[in-house]
Amino acid sequence: MELQMDMDLFEKLTVLSGAAKYDVACTSSGVSRKGGRGGMGNSIAPGICHSFSADGRCISLLKILFTNECIFNCAYCLNNCDSDVRRAAFTPEEVCTITMEFYRRNYIEGLFLSSGIMGSPNITMDLIYQTIYRLRKVCHFRGYIHVKAIPGADPELVERTGFLVDRMSINLELPTADSLHRLAPCKSRSTILKPMRQIQSRILDNRQELVAYQKAPAFVPAGQSTQMIIGATPENDYQIMSVAEGLYQKFRLKRVFYSAFVNVNGNSMLPALPGGPPLLREHRLYQADWLLRYYHFQVSELLSEDRPDFNIFLDPKCDWALRHLERFPVEINTASYQELLRVPGIGYKSAERIVKARRRNRLGFDDLKKIGVVLKRALYFITCSGKMMYRTKLEEDYICENLLRDKSQIPRDIREGGYQQLSFFDKEICADYQLAEEEIVPLRQQIGAV
Amino acid sequence: MYIFICEDSIDGIFTGIYDAWASGYGHENVALTAYEPENYMLFCEYIRVQTDFGKSGKVARTLRRHLGEETYGELCQAALAFENSRSRRHSMDKADAIYKTVVLALSRKDGSKILQCLGEPCVSRTFRLSRSMGNEAHHLLGFLRFRELENGVLFAQITPKNHVLEFLGEHFSDRLPEEDFMIYDAAHGQAALHTKGKGFFITDTQDLDEAGLSRISGEEAEWQRLWKGFFDSIAIEARKNPKLQGQNLPKRFWKNMVELEPSLRA
Repeated sequence: MELQMDMDLFEKLTVLSGAAKYDVACTSSGVSRKGGRGGMGNSIAPGICHSFSADGRCISLLKILFTNECIFNCAYCLNNCDSDVRRAAFTPEEVCTITMEFYRRNYIEGLFLSSGIMGSPNITMDLIYQTIYRLRKVCHFRGYIHVKAIPGADPELVERTGFLVDRMSINLELPTADSLHRLAPCKSRSTILKPMRQIQSRILDNRQELVAYQKAPAFVPAGQSTQMIIGATPENDYQIMSVAEGLYQKFRLKRVFYSAFVNVNGNSMLPALPGGPPLLREHRLYQADWLLRYYHFQVSELLSEDRPDFNIFLDPKCDWALRHLERFPVEINTASYQELLRVPGIGYKSAERIVKARRRNRLGFDDLKKIGVVLKRALYFITCSGKMMYRTKLEEDYICENLLRDKSQIPRDIREGGYQQLSFFDKEICADYQLAEEEIVPLRQQIGAV
Repeated sequence: MYIFICEDSIDGIFTGIYDAWASGYGHENVALTAYEPENYMLFCEYIRVQTDFGKSGKVARTLRRHLGEETYGELCQAALAFENSRSRRHSMDKADAIYKTVVLALSRKDGSKILQCLGEPCVSRTFRLSRSMGNEAHHLLGFLRFRELENGVLFAQITPKNHVLEFLGEHFSDRLPEEDFMIYDAAHGQAALHTKGKGFFITDTQDLDEAGLSRISGEEAEWQRLWKGFFDSIAIEARKNPKLQGQNLPKRFWKNMVELEPSLRA
């Protein structure tokens, strides 16, 4: 592994990591692989965070673009062909050397490689393939690799790359075809969904191959993911979550990521967002996303045409519970796992622990606390052996008022993140927490103010 | 009541379990403690346990056989967990919680599932101890930083609360089989050493060559600079959020991380 240590590599790395930073998918989870003699690296299923950058986001993978040169003109992207930024490109050797040297110092868990479109989608995808091939077969790297499939690239190239990586993703970019057409005229819904479908069906075929023949090479074993930009276009939460639900059900995606829009190039087609990126909205979308993936919720239970946006003040699960008080309180010692999952303050891990622990002992509130249940939220919705924790009323206004007193409804880091509109919210909450729920209008317009 | 005072280590606690069991006083009449009692209680007889690897080995074999590798691993993790003086005073003693959990587990057919019985105070305590140790160890899988020394050895220094070297040694031996590396636990004066192509072992570090550890290889400074450059450029300015950063990456880890500790930068 020879490398010329000169300014160039440092500059390339800062330019091409800076260009990749708006991509949110930086997880290293979903695949478990032992190390092996002669190679370097392994992978553990829950993934590992190696550091946290100044914005508080996890650094797990070496997240870089192969190049930030690009022939496309997507309005939201810093690297579009019209913008005046410094351009750089790695060579496959450089990417491999940096990955290996960072990995052996335990800086990173693996590589996340995306790219601008250099020349054509095929040329770009081929460069990515060559890089990954070298990393796996020449450097014998056994750590985690996540690559972006380039929209419009030859399916054959996508297929070959898929056998070398752990996760592949294709960004949906925007929730509707209409917005995509307006802001990213070089991309179309079909050039995005076609490779997504290809990867999905290949993963399925591969599973059967692996059953028949265990040594068959694995195709994208950690599954595929995608991301959407939130707040750049006028779609409401209902539209966004319905798209996400469709992706989970029809394309079997592992994750959908939501990225609060940051106006990086002052494009006049895009909102200015003087109050900073819509972080609270992003947070609610992620909460709802977890409800879909781990809590057996459906989008139609959370939102509707008439209520198209999440309640800014309450998390989606509390919000749902308040509208379905007829289902509560549930008895901890007898309720089914499904019922427990729906109680605010009980996570899917706690629900599982409860179901197992109560086989031997009747559980009380003390036990729940030790198990990890957040009682300050759950106490309105549960009984232990027929008793509630305190004398409370099963009344929407009463519970809502008390839940809003709980500051963690809006995470501290967002509340105190220093954004104008959020400190404004905080005051709103202090003043308004006595309001009945229906009087609290979603204030999303203020976050995503155009 | 008979109280067995054992050493605060896996072998110490396992020996304590052996002696308490073998004493024949009956489980309800004995208790274990891993710490010197602050006050001696009335009507109690205190018995000092001499750590004996033969006895602890027998206990380990029994637990492995009857409870399975996973539960055995959790019990070991709990035994390694660090407790501050506050949690010692307010919760069930570590050694006693493990002893009672073991007694309960061996009395059941499905002893391997004992850690699911979180309604039992001793199990709940053991579970929490094991989790706290596991959390720190998992953090360090990511937060540990190697630097390359002049002789090509990768060196990392950590200052953990719990005894995590065993766990880290195993992980990194699998991950970096072709490297010589050393993980130095400065808080407990121990190190895990791994030789290329071989296993690892843990040793005490009385005569550590401090000077040698600061002589880094020729390329090391440049790689640290590249990493620092990456670390800075990957953050989104518009989302800057030191609170969230501190929440996810507790400050006590920072002093051993090259991108966060100014004095470490070569």
